[in-house]
Amino acid sequence: MSEETAKRLNRRRFIALTGGALTAAAILAACGDNTPTSGTVATTAATNATTAASAATTAAGAATTAATTAASATTAAANVAPNGIKLVLLNQSRGQAAALEALAKTYLAQTGVEVTINTAGPTDYLQKLQASSQSGDMPDMYSALAKYNDMAPYYKAGWAMNLQPEMDKGWSKNFSSSVLKQITWKEGNPQGLQPGIYGAPWEINTYAVLGNPTIFKKAGLDLSTPPATMPEFIDQLKKINNSKSAPFLLASSNTALFIQHYVSNFLTDDEISQTFGGKLPWKSDAWRNALQLIVDLRDAGAIANNALPTGSSDNATGEKEFFNVQDLATYYDSAVSISVAKTTAPDFTTFISFPLPKAGNGKLEPRSVGGFGRGMAINPKGKHPDEALKFIKWMTDPAQEKQMFDTVPLLPANPNALDTSKLSPQVTGFSSLVDKTQVISNPLKAQVNEAMQKGIQSLVLKEKSVDQVLDDLEAAQRS
Amino acid sequence: MASTPIAGKAKPRSFASKPRHRRRGLEAYLFLLPALVLIGVFTLIPFVQGIVLSFQSWDGVSTDTPFVGLDNYLRVFQDNIFWSSMLNAVIFGAVGLVIGGAVSLGMAMAVNKAKRFSAFFRTVYYVPGVFSVVVVGMMFSWLLDPRIGILNRFLGAIGLDALQHNWLNEPDTAVWAVAAVFVWYHWGFGFLLFLAGLQDIPKEYYEAAELDGASPWARFRYITWPDLAPVTTIVSILTLLGGLKIFGTVLVLTNGGPGYHTEVPTLRIYKEAFQFHRYGSAAAMSVIFGLGLVALSLFQLWISRRSNA
Repeated sequence: MSEETAKRLNRRRFIALTGGALTAAAILAACGDNTPTSGTVATTAATNATTAASAATTAAGAATTAATTAASATTAAANVAPNGIKLVLLNQSRGQAAALEALAKTYLAQTGVEVTINTAGPTDYLQKLQASSQSGDMPDMYSALAKYNDMAPYYKAGWAMNLQPEMDKGWSKNFSSSVLKQITWKEGNPQGLQPGIYGAPWEINTYAVLGNPTIFKKAGLDLSTPPATMPEFIDQLKKINNSKSAPFLLASSNTALFIQHYVSNFLTDDEISQTFGGKLPWKSDAWRNALQLIVDLRDAGAIANNALPTGSSDNATGEKEFFNVQDLATYYDSAVSISVAKTTAPDFTTFISFPLPKAGNGKLEPRSVGGFGRGMAINPKGKHPDEALKFIKWMTDPAQEKQMFDTVPLLPANPNALDTSKLSPQVTGFSSLVDKTQVISNPLKAQVNEAMQKGIQSLVLKEKSVDQVLDDLEAAQRS
Repeated sequence: MASTPIAGKAKPRSFASKPRHRRRGLEAYLFLLPALVLIGVFTLIPFVQGIVLSFQSWDGVSTDTPFVGLDNYLRVFQDNIFWSSMLNAVIFGAVGLVIGGAVSLGMAMAVNKAKRFSAFFRTVYYVPGVFSVVVVGMMFSWLLDPRIGILNRFLGAIGLDALQHNWLNEPDTAVWAVAAVFVWYHWGFGFLLFLAGLQDIPKEYYEAAELDGASPWARFRYITWPDLAPVTTIVSILTLLGGLKIFGTVLVLTNGGPGYHTEVPTLRIYKEAFQFHRYGSAAAMSVIFGLGLVALSLFQLWISRRSNA
């Protein structure tokens, strides 16, 4: 074969590859959303095409791959569920993935509707959700997180069905009244959302104190009766510090929740909501008292290492010290931590949970932050919104909630699924707060949350006074 | 004229080669096309979109992106935290440039001189750069833990309790602890480039210098350093930019804390966009920060060219 022939063949090969690339690009574009509504979708299609072109040019078997993909698609199509309806659920929680998949199988067997669980994991979830919304390719259902600020833009953009009418028709029996209040967006909310309910929760999350009785015992203390008031608690933490053990810790990312929890000794839920909505000032005695707790804990030597863990995995750091290293006497955390303990330290079963002690000078009974945890939102623009609604309703029924929370040690949102007689001492502190949670209609602004975290770190480091932190909160509220 | 037949022969050859030249040129462009399209779609278009976005208000989800003029830039100019984070970026850039560069060069010179196991050392020194930043962050948050971390335990074991610190959570040590992790994580890149540069310097230069009685310092000053100048320029620009753009290491180790002591512009931009849902302001910050990086790079190139002239 002459050199010229070889060159010609190479050119032919190049043309063949380019043709393959264009075919693959066309297939990919066809596989995408067939109702492009914005320029973003067009850009995404272009991106897909470019990626495919590049892949085909560099990898000689692109056309073959496209054919293989088409073949496997045909194979998959042969395994359709009995009634052919397929739903996709984008799930945030890795811990709940197995339980969700098991429930999806049961649902398929019962109804013939196939539900595919795509688990993104907590780190990637919001990025994947954002990418889906921008490409106009939102799943039929997706995790509705308790963090309002993260979810509000999706609800506002019309990616969530208003569940209020269904609740009014009787679905509300699957939720406690306090949870229903928490998930309801009221008229005049700061996010500007239409009043309604945009996510159905299936777990409840409360915040409490985890305690290690062994470390208490070393300091001559008995944790079988947890401290009832904050002065008593601080006194015990002082003794623990004197016994050369690490007394107390909370993650920087949980500091705003900790202060919100404690300020409920001085403010009603409505007053807290109004502060979050910018209608009441941060610079008040109630918030001053709440932040003073950090100063009191610091001055008592109660904060382990005189600093709060920072970094993107700050809560994991604290949980590791409490559950795995077991050198921390107390740790403020959410009910979700119980599943972390079961997974990472299954042999550590001696710890207990107890409510955050009430303030010595408090005027009200303290209420936990949290309330509803994760749940599901339904995409009204999906192919089968009614079927998605049926599935979510089925998921919040007691039988499914029980099955779910037998696998995942969390607190179910459906009160009929919570069997208090079966609860372990590790869970009782959290479960005792299920009916004592705050109902806050205005979410804390992300900027204020950041200012609170940084301000509390500054308090612990003695870099700022309580009033300076309150000034920062006011400024962040106005930003 | 004797030249006529030659010219006569050359003419048809030139006539025949022109289309081939054109075809080859076309082939070259066709091969470049995918790369150009990728750069256009993934770099140039987002770059322009970023600049446009800096004049708009967008929450990251909504299709509504109203034009807000210079509002985003005004907000950024009033953001003291953003500007103070610039100082931290300069510290990380300077540490990466000076200490990171010096460590990389020192290691490269040592390995270049090693008669045995040089392949082993090349691999070992480059390994840190292979790890994911999350793995590195988690690893060092363990190593630097105040109670159970190896560093404090080691200091305690040798009687240096006074030197124990809460490395990542004390304002005086946090920046330097993160900078040390950054240098460790990135030294392999500079090391490899310096090593390649050192291996390109002819050995005869050193032999001649030794015969002339040049000291080790003189050999470094008059042979190694000038011959490494092009590599040093590249390494220093890339290390400086890497230090200024530090993100993952800070996010995982301290998230900008304690307080704002380790906050850096990239982290601030990330929070502005993905936590505060103010993509317009984040784009404005990116434009300002990007311009700063370009200006610094140009300045450093100018310095390098002047000193090499």
